[in-house]
Amino acid sequence: MTSTPMELRPVASVADLPTTTFGHRSIAWWGTIGFIIIEGTTLFICAMSYLYLRVTVGQWAPAYAPLPDLGVPAVQVALMVASNVPMVLVDRAARRLDLTAVRSGMVIMSLLVVVMCVLRGFELAALNVRWDENAYATAAWAILVSHGTLLLVEALETLAQTALMFNRRLEQRDISAIADGALYWYFMTSVWVPLAAIAFLTPYVAGP
Amino acid sequence: MSSTIPAPAPPQDGRAATTVAEVVPQLEETWRHEPGLLGWIRSVDHKRIGTRYFITAFVFFLLAGLEAAVMRAQLARPENTLLGPDAYNQFFTMHGVTMMFMFAVPVMDASKLYLVPLMIGARNVAFPRLNAYGYWVLLIGGLFLYTAFFLNTGPDAGWFNYVPLASSQFSPTRRVDVWAQAITFTEISSLVAAVEIIVTVFKCRAPGMTLDKMPLLVWAMLVQSFMVLFAMPWVATASQFIAMDRLVHTHFFDVALGGDAILWQHLFWFFGHPEVYIIFVPALGFVSSIVSTFTRRQIFGYPAMVLSLIATAVLGFGLWVHHMFATGLPQLGESFFTAASLTIAIPSGVQIFCWIATIWSGRPRITVPMLWVLGFVVTFIIGGFTGVMIASVPFDQQVHDTYFIVAHFHYVLIGGAVFPLFGAMYYWFPKVTGRMLSESLGRWHFWLFFIGVNLTFFPMHQLGFEGMPRRVYTYLPETGWGPLNQLASLGAATIFVSVLLFLINVARSLRAGSPATRDPWGAATLEWAAASPPRPYNFAFIPVVKDLGPLWTFPGQLPAVTGIRTDVRDVLLTTLIGARPDSRHRHPKPTIWPFMAGIATGIFFITLVFTPWGFVIGVPLLTAAFIGWAWPRGQDHREQMSVEAESALGVSPEVPA
Repeated sequence: MTSTPMELRPVASVADLPTTTFGHRSIAWWGTIGFIIIEGTTLFICAMSYLYLRVTVGQWAPAYAPLPDLGVPAVQVALMVASNVPMVLVDRAARRLDLTAVRSGMVIMSLLVVVMCVLRGFELAALNVRWDENAYATAAWAILVSHGTLLLVEALETLAQTALMFNRRLEQRDISAIADGALYWYFMTSVWVPLAAIAFLTPYVAGP
Repeated sequence: MSSTIPAPAPPQDGRAATTVAEVVPQLEETWRHEPGLLGWIRSVDHKRIGTRYFITAFVFFLLAGLEAAVMRAQLARPENTLLGPDAYNQFFTMHGVTMMFMFAVPVMDASKLYLVPLMIGARNVAFPRLNAYGYWVLLIGGLFLYTAFFLNTGPDAGWFNYVPLASSQFSPTRRVDVWAQAITFTEISSLVAAVEIIVTVFKCRAPGMTLDKMPLLVWAMLVQSFMVLFAMPWVATASQFIAMDRLVHTHFFDVALGGDAILWQHLFWFFGHPEVYIIFVPALGFVSSIVSTFTRRQIFGYPAMVLSLIATAVLGFGLWVHHMFATGLPQLGESFFTAASLTIAIPSGVQIFCWIATIWSGRPRITVPMLWVLGFVVTFIIGGFTGVMIASVPFDQQVHDTYFIVAHFHYVLIGGAVFPLFGAMYYWFPKVTGRMLSESLGRWHFWLFFIGVNLTFFPMHQLGFEGMPRRVYTYLPETGWGPLNQLASLGAATIFVSVLLFLINVARSLRAGSPATRDPWGAATLEWAAASPPRPYNFAFIPVVKDLGPLWTFPGQLPAVTGIRTDVRDVLLTTLIGARPDSRHRHPKPTIWPFMAGIATGIFFITLVFTPWGFVIGVPLLTAAFIGWAWPRGQDHREQMSVEAESALGVSPEVPA
């Protein structure tokens, strides 16, 4: 059983509105912001837990474990920061609906993200300590693995989006999604700079 | 139009249609619910999913209530033997976990997912498939939790799961692992619902519904969604930390190797305190809707109400340490958190006074929903008073871990959330089902519940003063706690009867209740412009809003915009602040993939209870499900191309009049 809905009186038409939008006009962009808040909070918790344990335990590396190596982590940070240049170009190309530039750009981003994933493996080795040795090791691994999960998600998404760009059923909204993906990329790479500093540099700082 | 020129045939896509009769047949076809079980599983309609969420959460409410009834039976007399200590631990933990994670949060999610799109004049939530996914994840999590409970593997370390009790040294079985992964499901589902509602409110409001013309309930749901976004990751991360401590021998909370047990309490309560407001803030929205309708007044002090909601949310994040006063904190910290805890009474007080002013200046009709609101005011104020008492550290030290605390938070949670929720059920039941609930049974339900709650929990204040600790499965006759416990158990029986009356009321109404009109209460907000129950597309045209009470301003006929396609699931997006029409967006059709992704998520987390290989199994499964979800195919692709073809990238036009 259904009652009758209220009468409606048309006052204007929205028939000519655009159907593809970018940035804050698109709902997927806002969805991405939502997930950035969630994941940013998660990474913040990992960083805070690391610093909390450092203060409460009273002893931290090096008294506690060998110091981490800095070579690979430095390369990773540099690569992540630098990768934002091609990403900005892809972002702009997407907003122009320049498919050729988006395609080549996404191939480059795919290669970069795969390299970053491999480097993450070497970064774990550069900690010079296993996760189950003590709380310092656990806290450092937590930062690398939590951010690594985001990196993995980004890698899967970038590869899938690149494949989609070569699909014959390409839609405009997929190109808009590239710009939303770029937003996530900026977040994922920039947030790594302070996190890497906490995981790899703070052990070199003496005191609790 | 001249009578000599024949009217042109309306175009196929419905954009040129200007009368309701023209668009309805095609809208019915485009948005129709698919038949059968598969159609039920594939549905992406926010009303169906919201209803499912609601029923699921309510079943968990009944289960957790039954657990409480068994506990009250056990405590009714000293040295009772109905439950042993091990079973009692599982019962009180399951009661807390179910009430907080499987009932209170999901039921508020259900309400916002059902009501918000209707109240803002939208056809659906912003991401319909994600919405369906959130439900499946919750359902699988709940089934997992209760399967474990029936296999005698229910969580037994309290809903807060404190270490070191919850560490593998003191809880060697899988019970705590079940806790850690089961709550992950509900966190995912409420995070998804939060993103869903934020984007829906930001981008899908009816033209003209600027931020200051949003119903207070929509504000409450928006504020609550932001709280979820910042609070839920804490318990999600903490529960993964403890799962890893138990599964792969990390040392977050292992004091012997540099970990810290208090870290757990910080992580848990940084979520746990905002959680109270995550449950409470939506209830404030219910109260505002009900008070406004039954006094036929806009709520007094709208800006103060909105700012109070926001203030409650912000302050709610600054109080978590008052759960930890007994852990030996620095005195400055204690003072700060005492002050913060007292401060939050201010925005709550402002809202209570605004409602009283509204009722005072109107001519209130004391219907059943309104009775529940009055019950809320009384019960919640008692809980609020004891809250101000225990914000004081010396007092808190005296009653910490006693039944005084049990009394306090039941007054707050039942008074602050369950009373408004029952009011909301009576208020929106006609909209959801098209039937009215019986007023006389409703009054019986209310009075028995009100008496039952006070009979159960008021004596607990005194039991706390007499030193009865929480979470004990029995007590000796010499303590003298017997009579008050018996009274509390009698109260629990009264609550049981009252809820039974409610179930009878619902069953009778669904079978033979009097049919509800479109707007049985004479309310002001947009959900009452839709049919009861609403059609799958909610509104034939998207209404235009000019003030807070569109149905009071335009009692006969709402202004609306046309030009939205009816042959595909086309929806209107508006700008964030001004709610100007901005673009059109095609919504997905029903699909099986959210269900598949839910199953993949279930396999992922349930495997993680037993082995770290859950990660290796779960990630590829989830990836496959999400690729299946996103990959363009057949009919869907053709529809999308037809939408994109008709208008290239453009700028938004000026506001329609």
